Amino acid sequence: MAHYYDNLLFLCGFEKEEIQTEKHRIERAFAKLELGPDDMERGEQWVRTQHDIELVGVRKILRVWLLELFDLVLAKEEGKKIVYYGFPSIEGPGMAIKTAAGDGLYCSCPDAILCHTLGQIFNKINPILEAGEQNGLPPGHALCSLQQIRNGGMAMGIIPVPDLITGSSYYCDMGSKADELLHEKYGHRAVYVDGSMDSRWGEFPHIPKERVEFLGGQLNKLFETVKQELGVEVTREVWGRAMETGIELGRAVARLQQILDADPLPISSAEVELAMILPAASTGRARTEGAEAISVLCEDLKKRVESGVGVVEKGAPTVMTFLPSFSDPSIAHMMEDAGLAVKLMPASAALAMDKPEPQPTLGEEIADRQLRMGAYHSSFGVVKLIEHAVKNLEFDGFIWPYLYNCRPLALSSHFLKKWIEDTTHVPTLALEMDIYDSRSYSAGNLRTKVEAFAEMLRARKAEANI
Amino acid sequence: MKALDMVTAHVKNRLTDLRTAKKRGQKIIGYLPGGYLPEELVLASGSIPVCLARGGDHSAVEKAGAYICHWLDTFCRAQIGYGVSGDDPYYSAIDMLAVPITDNHVRGVSDVLDYNTDLELFPFGVPHMKEEATLKYYRYGITKLKEKLEEMTGTAITDEKLRDAIVLCNRERELLRDISMTRTAEKVPLGSKEFVAACHGSLVADKAFMVETLEQLSRDLRQRPAPPQKGPRVLLTGSTLAAGDYRVLDLIEDSGGVVVMEEFAEGIPPYLLEVASDGDLMGALADAYFMQRIPPAWFRPGRERLEFLIRLAKDFNVDGVVWYQLMYRESYKTESYYFNNMLKKEAGIPMLVVESDYGPSETEPLRTRIETFIDTIRR
Repeated sequence: MAHYYDNLLFLCGFEKEEIQTEKHRIERAFAKLELGPDDMERGEQWVRTQHDIELVGVRKILRVWLLELFDLVLAKEEGKKIVYYGFPSIEGPGMAIKTAAGDGLYCSCPDAILCHTLGQIFNKINPILEAGEQNGLPPGHALCSLQQIRNGGMAMGIIPVPDLITGSSYYCDMGSKADELLHEKYGHRAVYVDGSMDSRWGEFPHIPKERVEFLGGQLNKLFETVKQELGVEVTREVWGRAMETGIELGRAVARLQQILDADPLPISSAEVELAMILPAASTGRARTEGAEAISVLCEDLKKRVESGVGVVEKGAPTVMTFLPSFSDPSIAHMMEDAGLAVKLMPASAALAMDKPEPQPTLGEEIADRQLRMGAYHSSFGVVKLIEHAVKNLEFDGFIWPYLYNCRPLALSSHFLKKWIEDTTHVPTLALEMDIYDSRSYSAGNLRTKVEAFAEMLRARKAEANI
Repeated sequence: MKALDMVTAHVKNRLTDLRTAKKRGQKIIGYLPGGYLPEELVLASGSIPVCLARGGDHSAVEKAGAYICHWLDTFCRAQIGYGVSGDDPYYSAIDMLAVPITDNHVRGVSDVLDYNTDLELFPFGVPHMKEEATLKYYRYGITKLKEKLEEMTGTAITDEKLRDAIVLCNRERELLRDISMTRTAEKVPLGSKEFVAACHGSLVADKAFMVETLEQLSRDLRQRPAPPQKGPRVLLTGSTLAAGDYRVLDLIEDSGGVVVMEEFAEGIPPYLLEVASDGDLMGALADAYFMQRIPPAWFRPGRERLEFLIRLAKDFNVDGVVWYQLMYRESYKTESYYFNNMLKKEAGIPMLVVESDYGPSETEPLRTRIETFIDTIRR
């Protein structure tokens, strides 16, 4: 018997048998999300216009996101303990907690999942943003829209109240305060992993041992809290196993990155984003099904590359961007419509790290490694990280999409552009935007700046070819 | 009052005094407000601490626009504006700017000024929770500062010098505390603008002068009969009450309200704390400035401050709370949402949240809101 959601789910890579087997979960999840036949129709239209559904791999990745959404929405009623972490956050602790706890735990960044499903598939993220605004994080104050989504999702009852929430207090003030707001409202335990980005300009890559000790101690505190709350222990051995589960996914993402060197660019950055953010958002389906879906995509793309098919013209200026839109694929398409071959900064662009120093505890080991990578070290660490990527990957331009409502990024709004242009001579566009909420920063609003930038890059390229 | 006139006159000549001191070889150490820089360390090194707390002026905020986007806290953007333009002569007078990194807004000031100016910056970390490990990290930061000051001045900060400085600063805090507490009385002996002027004066004035003047003020208050007051009593709280940002005080006063207490993260010195002057003095500084200090909203969780505000509201017998915050300081905005209910539930006191970006056009809408609030609580 046909269901009102069949067409959309087929489009998103589900098989008929799977829909039948999962029917009850799917229906319970959609009921909780208040997604009915009209939403399915709208979603179908949105997916058809915004995603490259000719590629089976894209559909399979959308399926992974939807499965993660179902798991999230149903976690409580399926009897799972729930842990939420924030974005961005040090990658690994979430996975380690999941590895230690096993199937009885649901652990993810729920707001990122809502963006990639209700935003990217159903084009229905705005009601959740509005609920977040009405429940303590009002509009007009440049508050983080990702936190508004988490807040709104909980206020609407579509994502369950967790048993434990952990905030990246070492990086962002807003995430921790929003977690505190949720703690005040729902009473669950919140653990803040603190730190201090107190380095001087130019200090990176020097890392005082006190910073490693401090941040490491805070990560150990998180693991200790997990032990108290969930009764599971995150040890070095567990950490090792957790990292192993991510190897296959990491390899698949790396293979995808390699394919993106092709000219013409065979796939939109909107689809690449779906694959690249999976490991940061989910510790469940991303690990069990993500690698396979991305591998399917890689196979599809190899065929495209062989036949010379691209989403932009051959020879289009290539630009690297730091963060793509989580909720709205139309922004990536607008950039491609302007004639830019947009690539996301790959994880492989990380600074060549010195060998990490041996550390007395697991927390310090993780802290040492993370601080060496730059982003959690300082603003200077971030500019060096991007400078390194821009220099080594030879792009025609760089788009610095600073999130206006993310203070750690917004404070670099001006000097990052200047630094990158001064050190690499690569034209840089500082583009003020919001990657989670495109109501004020829609593709239409950003188009003029991007088109002018693209025109300039084309002119430079033409000049260089004379 | 004579004592306050003396503060005003002293502050007017302060830059000249600082230049003279500089010629004598003394170092001028600027720092950003927030209550996390122990002035005692600066004094013990033979240097002069100057808190850069000027604000309220939208033109400085506009100047920052060429260096940072609009979405940073107003006061922090103003500091960037002053720092890059040289419009605030204190920025040109200082030998070093120490920046206790409390949140990303303050980190923005440090990074932008470090990148765009020749100022010598010295950031150090202020963690966001009160724990043994965070106290240790804060102590590490102020120890680095001590070493830096010793290196700059060539003066060893001995226990003896540090103790003297602690005693002096404790006395100043004690006087400010005593003066502030006189306002728990039914008849308030001095207005908020006068007290705030003393606080702002203390951020730049010579310490010994300030102690002497506050002693005079304390004597004056005991002798002077309190002026009659009829208006509702108000607790004013928020992120920053900068030197020069007096509009909200004026508007409350114009509406007939009487501000009897001010609680701010930045702009009002942390006069409630007291530093132990015996034993491990660096430990005592860390304990007082980090553990004793009522934490600002960027601490997580922020319950301690919110409970403290309720105590203040009760102790000062206020009729209403005005929550005055600057734009885009997200931690204050977030807390204001649930503190409102907490205050109503636990103290039965109403609260008004007002915001400012130092814009001149905000005055009349602010006036309407404040007048309405004061009218409401008067009834």
